[in-house]
Amino acid sequence: MSKTLHTRRQFLRTSLLGGAVSWSIPVFLERTFFSLDAQAADSAFATGKDSPILVVLQLAGGNDGLNTVVPFADDAYLRARPSIAIKDPLRLNDSLGLHPKLAGLRGMYDDGNLAIVQGVGYPNPNRSHFRSTEIWQTASDANKTESRGWIGRYFDSCCQGEDPAVGVSIGNQTPQAFAARDPKGISFAQPEQFRFASEKTSDPDAAEEFFRSVNEANDGGSIGMLEGSAPAQGETMDFLRRTALDAQMSSDKVLAITRKSRSEVPYPPGNLASSLNLVARLIAGGMPTRIYYVAQGGYDTHSNQKGSHERLLGDLDAAVTAFVGDLKSQGNLERVALMTFSEFGRRVAENGSGGTDHGAAAPLFVLGGGVKPGLYGTSPSLTDLRGGDIIHHVDFRSVYASLLQNWLHVPVKPILHREFPTIGFV
Amino acid sequence: MLERLDNEGWTPSAAAHLLNRAGFGGSPEAITSLHARGLGGAVEALLSEASDDDLFPPPAMIPRDLEALKKATSTASPEEKKKIQTAVTRENREQTSLLRRWWLDRMRWSPLGAREKATLFWHGHWATSIEKVKEPFAMWQQNETLRAYAFGPFEQMAREISRDPAMMRYLDLTQSKKGKPNENFARELMELFTVGEGHYSEDDIQQAARAFTGYRVNPKTQQFLFARRQFDDGTKSFFGFEGPFSGDDVIGFLVADPQCSKFLASKLWVFYAGSPPSPRLLTELAERYRALHLDTGEFLREIFQSREFYSPAVVRRQIKGPIQWLVQLCRQMEIALPPDSDQILRQLGQIPFAPPNVKGWDGGRAWISSATLLQRYNTAGNILARGKPNWQALGANATPSLVWRLFQSPLPPDLNQKFADYLGEHGSGSAALRDLVHLMLSTPDYQIT
Repeated sequence: MSKTLHTRRQFLRTSLLGGAVSWSIPVFLERTFFSLDAQAADSAFATGKDSPILVVLQLAGGNDGLNTVVPFADDAYLRARPSIAIKDPLRLNDSLGLHPKLAGLRGMYDDGNLAIVQGVGYPNPNRSHFRSTEIWQTASDANKTESRGWIGRYFDSCCQGEDPAVGVSIGNQTPQAFAARDPKGISFAQPEQFRFASEKTSDPDAAEEFFRSVNEANDGGSIGMLEGSAPAQGETMDFLRRTALDAQMSSDKVLAITRKSRSEVPYPPGNLASSLNLVARLIAGGMPTRIYYVAQGGYDTHSNQKGSHERLLGDLDAAVTAFVGDLKSQGNLERVALMTFSEFGRRVAENGSGGTDHGAAAPLFVLGGGVKPGLYGTSPSLTDLRGGDIIHHVDFRSVYASLLQNWLHVPVKPILHREFPTIGFV
Repeated sequence: MLERLDNEGWTPSAAAHLLNRAGFGGSPEAITSLHARGLGGAVEALLSEASDDDLFPPPAMIPRDLEALKKATSTASPEEKKKIQTAVTRENREQTSLLRRWWLDRMRWSPLGAREKATLFWHGHWATSIEKVKEPFAMWQQNETLRAYAFGPFEQMAREISRDPAMMRYLDLTQSKKGKPNENFARELMELFTVGEGHYSEDDIQQAARAFTGYRVNPKTQQFLFARRQFDDGTKSFFGFEGPFSGDDVIGFLVADPQCSKFLASKLWVFYAGSPPSPRLLTELAERYRALHLDTGEFLREIFQSREFYSPAVVRRQIKGPIQWLVQLCRQMEIALPPDSDQILRQLGQIPFAPPNVKGWDGGRAWISSATLLQRYNTAGNILARGKPNWQALGANATPSLVWRLFQSPLPPDLNQKFADYLGEHGSGSAALRDLVHLMLSTPDYQIT
């Protein structure tokens, strides 16, 4: 049972593709492996130290896009927002600027590491936080529901047989984007607590052994599931056993990596900064992870938004700036792309409480060493609105498609169900 | 009526299941005595347990006079102002912590715990967080309203909650006025509290928002206040009706909509039974809830006596939420809640009075990630070490009696064997028993109920 699994993994990692050798494996050999065993070749790719990494950063609550990428020269903007308009943005050009708190991002724009995609949304926008978040997480049409996430479908279609840590979410919850047919991806907030503390028992060795033996496949029926050929479906116990096994297998590695790797760059205080710091350390330590997921909450600014939005964007800017500096000093910036998203932007006109209600399309950021900088999409019109909201010009799945196809180099259709035009930011 | 469980089905395991789901579980003795009452008697006992308010005096809390506070800060120097704010923050933190402890203790020590469990359901339903509300007094008041209506008529509960200062602050109702209605409460009222997403239009939201204008909180007493001059008394069209509707009218229309009983029946079933009902069962549940005029206590009486509730698809198929996990563990082991329960629940992802957002907790599989699973295992060890259960009382033949105490159902044979082997190798002293229980709790099997 787990012995088979263990042996199989070891075989893939050490014998067949052999540790360090696999990172410099010649292309023709890799192709051979593809023809021999697609899963094995994929594993080789994942463990490589130069494969691309995607970091997804969720701005939860609905970030006010108009006060993030500000159309300061547009009269309609000033008219719609008499008390909360940003009048002194950091200019990108004659009509657009970034919120004054985004000085770090403004610098990345000059350094050629930042792409801004404008007017991102989807047809028939939903103004519910939960439904719209679900639509972004599952990449479904607004009138369809999907239970699996877009990242989960990437795991299913491209990461069969791989390490469970191919996806890492920083936090105690697993995002819906990770929901997969064959569950993958691990979550944790604090690496020091991400292990079984057997030393608290009177016989740590026995307890450790016992813990390992009950938290792995403990009956014949689960063997197939662990091999990835007969995915666990529905059953609560299968799900729990699978999670227990993934936790057990990943925790040693995570702990070892985070214990030895330190950041050379100082990070500001705050949750987002510590999440990104952890991601940077995991990248530096060579985790086989291809997608990291982090989140920052609090963007639901219905009232008195000026101060709170300023604080949120300030935290975001400081955390991302430290992260980029860290990756640069590691020499890893070229292989990391970070994408922000929020479930929706906000209504163009401010409300009576010095805030903004739920809206629709908004800009998002893609940044990293391999990003082609600049402004993408068209600047949204503030007079041609639908229900008081900005109309989208870029489908968010075009952003996903671009990252899947041109960054992670995987086919888009099995993941997004159909093709979407890609955008040239990577 | 839902089909009733027959007498043969009322076994000690069924009684344990009922106690686990309707409440927070209990000791083997509690299960035995519930079983002895028979199914009808047991359900009656759970639903009509006498009020135990006197046993759980709330933490001493008085409403903060926000008017006086505002006055004090407006004339204060910057340093004084900072001092006042720091004191307020500290006091709020302390009071919130006392409030949490008070409610958790109530869950732990209430003899049967069903009313507290239902209060927890409604807290997740009418999700409101201290993080935004800031005032512990308002959170406590809301908690008492949820408790008072936990087994009562839904419509009245909805009206009370629309006037609840904590909810009003949480969803910006206090800022909504004629000409400038704030949509936040009106939207969530429909999307999350009554009919569910997709069963109303954007226009319904805007019209309903107008009907809920003028709701205010008296800054001195922290009680609801209706500011007639801020109320939009114009004609609204809502759900096909037209008139100068009030907020209560809107609630009336929503509750009368068949979609409301369907939405709530499904949510109640998921909370108590663990997974979404089949379409056939949902139709039946929604019809019953509606026939009972959305009286939640009457509805739960039928659910708890139904055959469906004791079916293999329901029993031991629910992932425990963190509060359930913690309270049930302490009830089963007959120990007090650990002093750092707050901290534990924060790590496990369910902080009372601070749901993550207005949708409440997702529940089910969302409770479990590789992180929270390992944290549960480790926390269990700490709780046992500090809670000091009476190990010797567990006595001989420990494995089977511990399995009954903790799982109330047979485990996979190989797991049972591993438990027995462990004790065989380590003897049955207190340390070995404690380790064994810790290991029993450090299994996927312990995470379900």
